[in-house]
Amino acid sequence: MDKFIVNIIHRPEMVPEYAEKVTGQGKAEDLGRKALLTESLDIFKIQQACAHKNGLKTTIQMTYASLFNAEAVALAKEHHETFGDEIALSLLGLPCEQFREKYKTKDFCIWMFSMEDKKAIVRDVFGKFYEAFGFYPASTGSYYMDADLINFIKAEYPSVKCAVATCWEEGPKAYHTCNNSWYTFMDGGPWAPWIPSKANTHAPAANAEEDSGIVAIPHLSRDLLACYDGNGSNFGTHPQNVLRGMIYDTSTWEYPYLYNLIDQYRSLAKFNNSYAYNMMFVGPGWMNKMGRWEQPYELLLKSYEDGCAYYGKLKKEGRLEDMTMSEFADWYRENRHYTEPECALWRDILYGSDKQLFWYCDPYMRACVNMDQGGAIVDLRPYAAKLEWPVGIGTPHVQDASYPFLIQEKYRAGYFTHYAGEGTVRSAKLCYRGEEADLCLCRTKAHFSQEGTERVLTLDPVEIVFRDMRLTLQTVIRFPEGGSGVRIERHVLEMSDPAAEVTLNEYMVGCYGTTEYAEDMTSLTLRVEAGEESEEIAYAYRCREASAVNAERVSCSLPPIKTRVTLEAEGRDKCGYVREGYAFSPMFTLGYTGTLREKEVFATWLRLERED
Amino acid sequence: MAQAGKGRLNYRCPSCFMRDLDMDMFYDKDKDEYYCLRCQYRGNEADVLAKNELARFRYGAMNKRFTDFEDFGK
Repeated sequence: MDKFIVNIIHRPEMVPEYAEKVTGQGKAEDLGRKALLTESLDIFKIQQACAHKNGLKTTIQMTYASLFNAEAVALAKEHHETFGDEIALSLLGLPCEQFREKYKTKDFCIWMFSMEDKKAIVRDVFGKFYEAFGFYPASTGSYYMDADLINFIKAEYPSVKCAVATCWEEGPKAYHTCNNSWYTFMDGGPWAPWIPSKANTHAPAANAEEDSGIVAIPHLSRDLLACYDGNGSNFGTHPQNVLRGMIYDTSTWEYPYLYNLIDQYRSLAKFNNSYAYNMMFVGPGWMNKMGRWEQPYELLLKSYEDGCAYYGKLKKEGRLEDMTMSEFADWYRENRHYTEPECALWRDILYGSDKQLFWYCDPYMRACVNMDQGGAIVDLRPYAAKLEWPVGIGTPHVQDASYPFLIQEKYRAGYFTHYAGEGTVRSAKLCYRGEEADLCLCRTKAHFSQEGTERVLTLDPVEIVFRDMRLTLQTVIRFPEGGSGVRIERHVLEMSDPAAEVTLNEYMVGCYGTTEYAEDMTSLTLRVEAGEESEEIAYAYRCREASAVNAERVSCSLPPIKTRVTLEAEGRDKCGYVREGYAFSPMFTLGYTGTLREKEVFATWLRLERED
Repeated sequence: MAQAGKGRLNYRCPSCFMRDLDMDMFYDKDKDEYYCLRCQYRGNEADVLAKNELARFRYGAMNKRFTDFEDFGK
């Protein structure tokens, strides 16, 4: 039987994000305004009531500010006793008079502080929590928790076993949506719970040695298609986020999208050994009495009541289990293992496009396969590198916590580019008598299966039509568990001319970075390995190429992200090649050409490894 | 003319929303209109609401309740 688990989290945030900014418009800033404090606590009470009314337990994440409020502390204790809610500690909600006075800063995102300040704040907040409750929390979190922060917390407070540790695909897109004023750059992480590695929060641990000691959960369960292209804050299991996206009928105040999102997450149990997960975490600022953007308070409240009611209904029907964060961490540790991947065959449930993506995440990579582009890999993060990436003041990345990509079709183009150059994508072209067709232009669908420990994505066959010949080709993509490679097979099922032979060009255009803008490529090295025929190109934007018949492998070393990406091939007439880019196209290409006849298969391996 | 403030609700600019930008608008009481600081949009409440409906054009399946996530016929 499938197990669908939900974590519902509330935080008594005495100065809710947005509330002071929005409701205080036209007034001088005053974090201690009585009306603000009273309203904030009222919202928390309403949220708790919504959950309890529907038979759901919650995790109460106390904020620093709330630890100074006797009523908030008493409420948490009472709800723990009465409803079994977990009393946890959030590193969100730091802003309050006491914090400002003590730390002399308006910073509020824990991962952006210097390490020295992180330690001081954590000790302060955890100490204050202990004073209030007489124990240390088992769960904590923020929008993002960098690895150094998690390691410090785990070392100082071993009781911590669970943390909210990232917001899925909240990066440059969210920054742009907020008029370039919201500095949460944390793209490239898992969308579902994972065990972070000690080296990098976003990269899951591959074994006990790499284990940071906590189970991480994402902030919200987000739409794996809509969030990848649009503003992440519109498309998650956060009812007011759905309203923010204006995804509701203004005459009826109905929002089937919210339920579709929850249900699609439930359906992911099919791909993950019968387990699926959801998380709902709405900050009180989203239920402001003044309303939020176009939505009056009544609609904000209705959406939260409806969200809780739907989870409650699923629970009553025996299709959902509510857990607190620490209960979930225990369950996760008992039921999942390090190398077990997270898979999601995801369909568009909002735009009506019928597009389908497949997301794969394990300790070695995160990859996105786009069926609307013939099964091309359109996003690739090399977790195999377990890249150390310190974040915060005093590090090279004050705000940028994203795990770097090798392929990102939205930031560095995919198949389509303007006028010249290439975009990042892993696809293939078929050539016949001077004509060429890229699989990126073959729209199809996929089916998931598991063969032993290998996850297999089998795409529906596509037809390639040349002037003198047509053929049917099927792509099969294999993800062996515990490895760091993807095997892509092209099967020619049928040719209108059985004697014909087509040329296949398997290619990957890549680069590296965390944003839309190009990085310095001059430290990269491209290699073709073919015994005595081996060649190497030190990247210098000179548009050079190298190739070798029967090459064992072709690769690119990327020192800035300590990663080596390699292609290997199995098939007739294989010839490996590498291409350097140029200034207008700061990319590299790895590829293999080969030939295919009817009923034949050409296979390639894409492998990732750490290199330093 | 007095400085602008907020209106009854905190409307965002519909034109910016359509390009994935959340821009709060400000309200000019004298002209009874909302206006955007970033782009050139301005309009009264009725116009904002009408344009917001227009912004929903891209949500082709907004009102559909899905019962299957792999069968594209459903």
